[in-house]
Amino acid sequence: MNVKEVKIKIDDKEMSVPSTWTVIRAAQENGIEIPHYCYHPDLTIAGNCRICMVGLKGAPRPVVACAQPVAEGMEVTTKGKDVEEARKSVMEFMLINHPLDCPECDQAGECKLQDYSYAYGRDHGRFHEEKVVKSKATMGPHVKYWGSRCIVCTRCVRFEEEISGQGNLGVIYRGDRSEIALFPGKTLDNPLSMNTVDICPVGALVSSDFLFQTRVWNLHSKDSMCADCSVGCNTRVDLDSKERIKRIVPRRNDQVNKEWMCDYGRLSFPYVHENRLMKPMLDGKDTPYKDARIAAAALLKKKRVVILVSAWNTNEAFAAAKSLAEALPGAEIAGYANPGRAEEKFPGFTISGDKNPNRKGMQEVLGIDADVSLKELAADKGAIGTVVLMHNIPGYVPTAELKAVLDRTESVVLLDLAKSDLLRYGNVAVALPTLSSFEKSGTFVNKDGIAQKFQPVIEPVNFGRSEPEMLTDLVRELQGAPVKVGA
Amino acid sequence: MADATPPAGGAAAAPASAPAPEPKPKVPFSPILLKHINEPGSHTIAHYQARGGYETAKAHIGVTDPGALIKLVDESGLRGRGGAGFPTGKKWSFLAKGTGKPIYLAVNGDESEPGTFKDRYILEKDPHQLVEGVILTCFAIGSKHAFIYLRGEFILGFERLEAAVQEAKAKGFVGKQIFGKDLELTITVVRGAGAYICGEETGMLSSIEGGRGYPKIKPPFPAVSGLFKCPTIVNNVETISAVTHIVKNGAAWHKQWGTEKSPGFKIFCLSGAVKKPGVYEVPLGITMREMIDGYGGGMKDGKKLKAVIPGGLSAPVLTAEMVDKCTLDYESLASLGSMLGSGGITVLDESVDMISAIYNTMRFYHHESCGQCTPCREGTGWLEKVAHRFHHDEGHEGDVELLADIAKNMRGRTICVLADAAAMPMQSYLQHFKGDFLAKVKETPFVEKKRTYRDEISPTAKKLSATGAGPSAMDVGSAEKQ
Repeated sequence: MNVKEVKIKIDDKEMSVPSTWTVIRAAQENGIEIPHYCYHPDLTIAGNCRICMVGLKGAPRPVVACAQPVAEGMEVTTKGKDVEEARKSVMEFMLINHPLDCPECDQAGECKLQDYSYAYGRDHGRFHEEKVVKSKATMGPHVKYWGSRCIVCTRCVRFEEEISGQGNLGVIYRGDRSEIALFPGKTLDNPLSMNTVDICPVGALVSSDFLFQTRVWNLHSKDSMCADCSVGCNTRVDLDSKERIKRIVPRRNDQVNKEWMCDYGRLSFPYVHENRLMKPMLDGKDTPYKDARIAAAALLKKKRVVILVSAWNTNEAFAAAKSLAEALPGAEIAGYANPGRAEEKFPGFTISGDKNPNRKGMQEVLGIDADVSLKELAADKGAIGTVVLMHNIPGYVPTAELKAVLDRTESVVLLDLAKSDLLRYGNVAVALPTLSSFEKSGTFVNKDGIAQKFQPVIEPVNFGRSEPEMLTDLVRELQGAPVKVGA
Repeated sequence: MADATPPAGGAAAAPASAPAPEPKPKVPFSPILLKHINEPGSHTIAHYQARGGYETAKAHIGVTDPGALIKLVDESGLRGRGGAGFPTGKKWSFLAKGTGKPIYLAVNGDESEPGTFKDRYILEKDPHQLVEGVILTCFAIGSKHAFIYLRGEFILGFERLEAAVQEAKAKGFVGKQIFGKDLELTITVVRGAGAYICGEETGMLSSIEGGRGYPKIKPPFPAVSGLFKCPTIVNNVETISAVTHIVKNGAAWHKQWGTEKSPGFKIFCLSGAVKKPGVYEVPLGITMREMIDGYGGGMKDGKKLKAVIPGGLSAPVLTAEMVDKCTLDYESLASLGSMLGSGGITVLDESVDMISAIYNTMRFYHHESCGQCTPCREGTGWLEKVAHRFHHDEGHEGDVELLADIAKNMRGRTICVLADAAAMPMQSYLQHFKGDFLAKVKETPFVEKKRTYRDEISPTAKKLSATGAGPSAMDVGSAEKQ
């Protein structure tokens, strides 16, 4: 479609924007803040909160910026007496029946009512009547509802209709008794349910998992990326003062995940702190890295070495594996992947069935198709001297094919995150602890071929050497070159 | 509901005198829409056809140029009878053309404005004139599907209208190949579930679509994107019924009554403290006094007139002096800061406590606000609660100003005009009956102590903050914006 550009003026700023945009979009894209509750760029326009009112030259009264399409020559003011008055009155209306329970509200600190109250609120109330009290409800396994805090912006209702397509939520009752409620017999249990918590501008919908865990002003945030599937959602990881991950929320990337992510990915982080492989191990006992390295190097000199990499490794780890293979004449590289699940497709978001963050990256760096590769290796019945198993998959249950390979392997050098089933599976001679995607930097290529680099958000909880580093150490060990570890 | 934008100046402007009625030669008038309502069997097709019913449709459907019909209605000067008074022919001409989408006609029979009960008579007593109007209108605007939305409480009206549609279908006036021409028309009668807001045109469309009766943002107007996002014409039951008679008799016939800007006739619903309350079909432009004293038989029990709500509950109230100057046409009432609205005239006598009246009014709008837009959702409840205090002699000093401010903050800041419909009566009562409010102010002002955190915190914290040892109470900053 050929979209025409129109010239408009917001305050003193002149801009040229596509004619399909609304005033609020034009303002936002040009760095002009217009307060809003119900507007969300990925949802239909509801125009019900009424706080985004702006002055429009030629209009008798302020109009809502979210529903106002731009037009050639339009002149908009986001300041001025009319606009301020309108916003102040909306802010007052918003709060008359609000319980003002910030001290015990999870949203406090990241609440739009607080933010805009600071800008447009009154310093004292004029409402001396009895407040309307609304119900509390458990909407689903991860979402709770505090009715009295709700401003009925219907973002959650629209999300459920348009993005998750489940339509579980609706508005019941009328006027100031309006509440969000589930349709009879429904629960908010779809794997996108926690997005409703993110988009709730107030403390009405809160996450059961995060509830009362911490105050948000005690958290600090770092940008990250979800490794739970091949979508590669961009995330923001919130950490407490002890650098522990408290919650993961989506971060906007219009090419990848817009502003959504699934509940699996959000709730995937506890593995980072649980049951981790902390130190290198040799024959089931903790051992210094140096000894483990020397033992591993010795094992690599056996006949037939296979470097078996999972699709949970970074492009950098794949490249290091390639270097290792090059250093070992006759070594093979094979790949495998976490078994997939059924894809979950929603109208506005798809959760990939491929539970590997970097299957595409393996293809690009090593030219290996993970599924084909493991099948081939499992099918060939020859004995294997040593397998360097670069695993890194949390919560993995070994597949028959992988077992078939390991069963005829003399010894395994395992690089893994956790004390997993693989460690107990048997012939693991050397185990080297690896880093989760929260602790290292690297690159994943998502299912659409978009390569995304991510940075560590926490310090390594374990011994702290990343896979590419350890593989490089091994190469140096093989070559007899000195290995320097840490400071 | 009265879907009206209040006149410029609103209730605040009360000009010294209303313009004199047009000096038009008086043409004798006898009821047109309500002519047959007292005859037995008036709702049947046999009765309707015996008095020439469906002859107009037969003569025009598939024969006349649809554009000529629109022109005829435009020339007749017919204005929407639902409340807003928008010229009907003009509305039809705004219809988006060439969209490739179906065009719908949605007839509004929700009739939920308190004090209004005119459409009910058409639906229960003479529904075929509406069906014929629908046939003519759909032909004029090129629609193949009309929806007639009735309020849930109209049980008899629903039964009779549904029967009328079926009768017309059996005769081949509705359905496929209507009047033997290659045209089709489906009429669907939809029942509401008892919400005032579903009488607002876009709220009604949401309700017909099967959704919650939330009004939609305008623009786009229904004529461009209405029912199921298709071009839709929304008209009141009385308007569409009048179309039947205008097409039959011509534009000039319609214009012989009424004023220049408000031509024709209209049904008024007279209720309250009059001797003969009821529905009266009269030419527009007669005086309010003629309506009350002539048709209504004067004040009941010989009491004095105190006020009149002229156009349904949402119309700003008129005082006795204003009533004397008022004629029943759109312009006269607008000049008095009120509106003709739906034609529901409620007469209040001297025994009425105006505070009780406004409290009752506010209770209604609080109950009926759909809850979509913040100012209306919260404002209607607030107005009711303050009015409730006044009703119980518990007005505080400053409450009158507060009421005025709440009403002002609600006006023109919402998707539909329900907020205005609630605020306008309040503003007019405050303007014309301020004394009644002040008489109820029995309490001192609410304490409006401007508190700061510093006053609230404990002495220890205060001391700490003063010495700079602890976190300052004033450091409670805005949260970091995401």
